[in-house]
Amino acid sequence: MDAMNQANEDSELTKVLKVQNKMGIHARPAAMIVRISNKYNDVEVWVEKDDDQINGKSIMGLMMLAAGQGSELKFTATGSKANELLKELEELFARKFEEA
Amino acid sequence: MAQVNPKIIESISVREFFESYADKLQLELVAGQDGLKRFIREKSINRPSLALTGYFKHFANRRMQLFGAGEMAYLRDLNESAQYKVLREIVAKHIPCLIVSRNFAPTKAMYSIAEETNTAMFRTPMKSKDFVAEGTVLLEDKFAPRSTIYGTLLDVKGIGTLLRGKSGVGKSECALALVERGHSLVADDVTYIKKVGEREIVGTSAEINRGYMECRGIGIISVADLFGIRCVRVEKRIDLVVTFVEWQPGMEEERTGLDQSTFDMLGIQIPHIQIPVRPGRDMARLVEVGALVQALRLTGHDSAVEFNERLIATMAGDK
Repeated sequence: MDAMNQANEDSELTKVLKVQNKMGIHARPAAMIVRISNKYNDVEVWVEKDDDQINGKSIMGLMMLAAGQGSELKFTATGSKANELLKELEELFARKFEEA
Repeated sequence: MAQVNPKIIESISVREFFESYADKLQLELVAGQDGLKRFIREKSINRPSLALTGYFKHFANRRMQLFGAGEMAYLRDLNESAQYKVLREIVAKHIPCLIVSRNFAPTKAMYSIAEETNTAMFRTPMKSKDFVAEGTVLLEDKFAPRSTIYGTLLDVKGIGTLLRGKSGVGKSECALALVERGHSLVADDVTYIKKVGEREIVGTSAEINRGYMECRGIGIISVADLFGIRCVRVEKRIDLVVTFVEWQPGMEEERTGLDQSTFDMLGIQIPHIQIPVRPGRDMARLVEVGALVQALRLTGHDSAVEFNERLIATMAGDK
């Protein structure tokens, strides 16, 4: 087993993702994020922007952040598949939520 | 769970029309009783003025023929043999029946042709324009495409809401809870639907089980007796379809409400929401709110869209 990548139960991973689509995290992108985060039952996700921290499985929380284009969100994931979850989110942000 | 194939009505008998609407249209059968077995083959009413002049191109012979003030005056101005000739010609086109408005007295020729050719003739005190307006609506109803759909129909604060879902998923329990909260039941489990005009689907129950529903563990209950007659409604336009689906981990659930999906009923698209069923969820409450959201949409307010627009505007202002 590759000890470097195999996260165990307690490991906490963080990743900073930049909002690149023009309209920012409005309802549709927020729904896409929670669709991913809710797939991972055993992973806890928190999202930070400026002074706010919200649960990454809550769509209302994500929208409350009002993360416009160019803002940065810090995702913190804990759990056995935290790495995979963050990778999926990274790809989603890179795809600009399939928007302009 | 699919819809039963729609039934298209091609024609209705004059008898059926007469028996259904004699009161509403104040119809009195004055001659040609044997003609009741003829058929109305088009859902419209014709004024045969051109035919009376002897012009039969495009004569709408599949429709009921209405004689109003103009037709009657013209006919009376003809001599008797001319009347016989033209009436015979009209009846020979296999028309369903004759109707005379404003209680005008049919001419002697009309009586004898009706009897001789077994063509029903009715009289009504209504004015032609009112008869045409009212009669067309009633015909529209008789000719409306029909079908049966498996689902429970309720009137939730004016929003006709059809609950669908697999047997045992909790439709009836939810309906019961809604009735208890003062909403009314239209049909339990089997809903007859018909298309009215080109825009609306109206649902009703079979007459035999109107006001009754089946409640697992208790049996058949009478909603009217238990909760009062106000909890039973005969028919209701369907504004919303709610499908209960069994919740499974990882299933896609609607989270924003931005995308309105629809459910096809006889070619009309009805707004549709799917609610995953999970233990502990108050399904009746969810359906109630779903119906209220739909009511709000009908008045031009879409909560999800309005919220999202606010959010986007905020983010744009932050830049």
